[in-house]
Amino acid sequence: MTEWFDFLVTPFHYDYMLRAIWVSAWIGGVCGLLSAFVTLKGWSLMGDALSHAVVPGVALAYILGLPFALGAFVAGLLAAGTMAFIKAKTRIREDATIGIVFTAYFALGLLLISLFPARVDLKVILLGNILGISDPDIRQVLIISLITMVVLALKWKDLMLFCFDPGQARAIGLPAGGLQVVLLALLSAMAVAALQAVGACLVVAMLVTPGATAYLLTDRFGKMLWLSAIIGVVTSLAGAYASYFFNGATGGCIVTLQTLVFLAAFLFAPKHGMIASRRRIRCAATPSQS
Amino acid sequence: MSEFLEPLQYAFMRDALLVGMLVAAMCALLSCFLILKGWSLMGDAISHAVLPGIVLAYIAGLPLAVGAFGAGLFCAVGTGFIKRNSRIKEDTVMGVVFTGLFAFGLVLFSKTPSDMHLDHVLLGNILGVTRSQVWQTIVLGGVVMGSTLVFRRDLLLICFDPSQARVMALPDRFLSYFLLGLISLAIVVSLQAVGVILVVAMLITPGSIAHLWTDRFDRMLVIAAVSAVSATVGGIFASYHLDASPGACIVLIQALGFVLSLFLAPKYGLLARRSARRLNQAVPARR
Repeated sequence: MTEWFDFLVTPFHYDYMLRAIWVSAWIGGVCGLLSAFVTLKGWSLMGDALSHAVVPGVALAYILGLPFALGAFVAGLLAAGTMAFIKAKTRIREDATIGIVFTAYFALGLLLISLFPARVDLKVILLGNILGISDPDIRQVLIISLITMVVLALKWKDLMLFCFDPGQARAIGLPAGGLQVVLLALLSAMAVAALQAVGACLVVAMLVTPGATAYLLTDRFGKMLWLSAIIGVVTSLAGAYASYFFNGATGGCIVTLQTLVFLAAFLFAPKHGMIASRRRIRCAATPSQS
Repeated sequence: MSEFLEPLQYAFMRDALLVGMLVAAMCALLSCFLILKGWSLMGDAISHAVLPGIVLAYIAGLPLAVGAFGAGLFCAVGTGFIKRNSRIKEDTVMGVVFTGLFAFGLVLFSKTPSDMHLDHVLLGNILGVTRSQVWQTIVLGGVVMGSTLVFRRDLLLICFDPSQARVMALPDRFLSYFLLGLISLAIVVSLQAVGVILVVAMLITPGSIAHLWTDRFDRMLVIAAVSAVSATVGGIFASYHLDASPGACIVLIQALGFVLSLFLAPKYGLLARRSARRLNQAVPARR
C-alpha cells in the first residue's frame, strides 16, 4: 500500500514537475474561460488556424532573440487579417481560406526553422515543452493570461452578446468590429500561451474542448464559463501530473483527458447527453401509443 | 543550367521528385471536390487523426497504411455520429475529435519503444523514401487517382447538389463515404512526402487556385493538377539549393501561386474585377 503511495507521489518530489503542474493548470483555466466564447461563436477552426499561424512569429522571435510572445502575437493578427482580406475579396469559401492561410504561415515557419536549425527546436513548438519551461517563458505566459483574464472580466457581457447575436450587439450600439478584434487578439494571445503547454497541434483542444463540454452540461452562460474554466484547470493539473508516467507527453495526456471528459458529458449529461435525449424521445413516444 | 539540374544526379532526388509529383497530382484532384463540398477542414482533421492508427498498426505489426486508413475513417464517422446526437456544431465536434485522437496517438507513442521518428510522421521525409515506399505510392496513388477520375461525375454531383443526386437515385450516402475513404487513402499516401501538417495544404490550395481560374469542372481538375505538380517540382529543387525543408518549400510555392492567381486570374482575380467595375461605371446606360 505504502509502495503504491510512494510511487504515486514521486512526481511531487521534483521541482520541474511541480512547476509544470501549476503552470499548465493556470493556462488550462484561462484557455477554458476563453473556450466558452469560442464554442459559442463557432470559431473552433479559427483557434486551430491561429495556433499554427503563430509558428513563423515564434521562430522569428527566437532567431532574433525577442520575446516569443511578441512575434507570435503579431503573426497571429497578420494571419487573421490575411484571412479576412481574402474572404472579403474572392469567391473562395471561408473554410478553404482559413486552410490556405494557416498552412502557408505554418510552412513559412518551417522554412525559417529549417534554415536556422540551431536557434529553435521544432519539436518544442509542435509538441510543447512545459516540463522544461524557462523562467522568462513562465513570466510571459503569466502576463499574457493575466491580461486575458482582466479583459474577459471587464468585457465578458459585451463579448457574450457579440458571440451569441452579433446583430443584436450592433443594434444596441456595441462596436461589433472592435469586439471581433478583441476576441481575435485574446485568441492569438492564449494560443501562444497554450503552445508552451501542449504544442501547436493540440492548442485547439485547449481552446475548444472545455467549452464544448460545458455547453453540454448547462444552458446558462455564467455557469458555462465557470464549468469550462474548472474543466480546464482539473484536466491540465491531472494531465501534467500523469505525464510523469508517460515519458513527458504532457500535451497528449492533458488533451486525452479533456476528450474523455467530453465523451462522458456527451453520453451522460443530464439534459443534453445522448442517453438522456434518447430516453426523452422514448418517453414521448410511449404515451401516444397507449 | 547544369548547376540547377545537379540534384537529378542523385537517385534519392529522383525518387523524391517521382513521389512528390504523384502525391501532388492525387491531392490536387481530390482538392477540387473538397473545396466545392466545403470539406476543406475534413482534410485537416483526418490527417491529424491518423496518428493513433499508425502507432497501433506498428504495435500490431500491420502495415502502417492500414492503421492510418482505419483511424482516418474512424475520425470522420465519429464526427458525424457525435454531431447527429448532440447539439454541438460540426466544426467544434471536428476539433474535439481530431485533437482527442491525435493526443491519444501521442500518449500511445510515448509508451511504445520504437525506432519511428515522430518528426517524420508530422513533417514527412520525402528525401528518405525507400524503394518499397515508391512502389506503394505508385500503386495506391494510381488507385486513388483512377477511382477519382472514373467516378468524377457522381462525386461532383454529391459535392455540388446532394439533393439532386438523391433525386437521381444515386447512392449519395455511399458516395460521401467513398469520397471520405479516398481522402483518407490519399492522406496515408502523402504522409511520406509532406507529413501530417502540410497535407492539409496539398488538399486545399490547388483546388482553390483552379477555382479562381475557371468555371468548368474538367478544366479545374487539369489546372489544379498542373499547378500542384509544378509547385512540387519547384519546391523540391528550391529545397535542395536552399538547404531547407522540402515540405515547407512545396507549400510556400503553392501559396505563392494562390496569391498570384488572387490578383491575376482572368475573371475572378482582383485586377480583373476592378477593371470590370470601372467599365460598369463608365457605361451606366447598359444597366
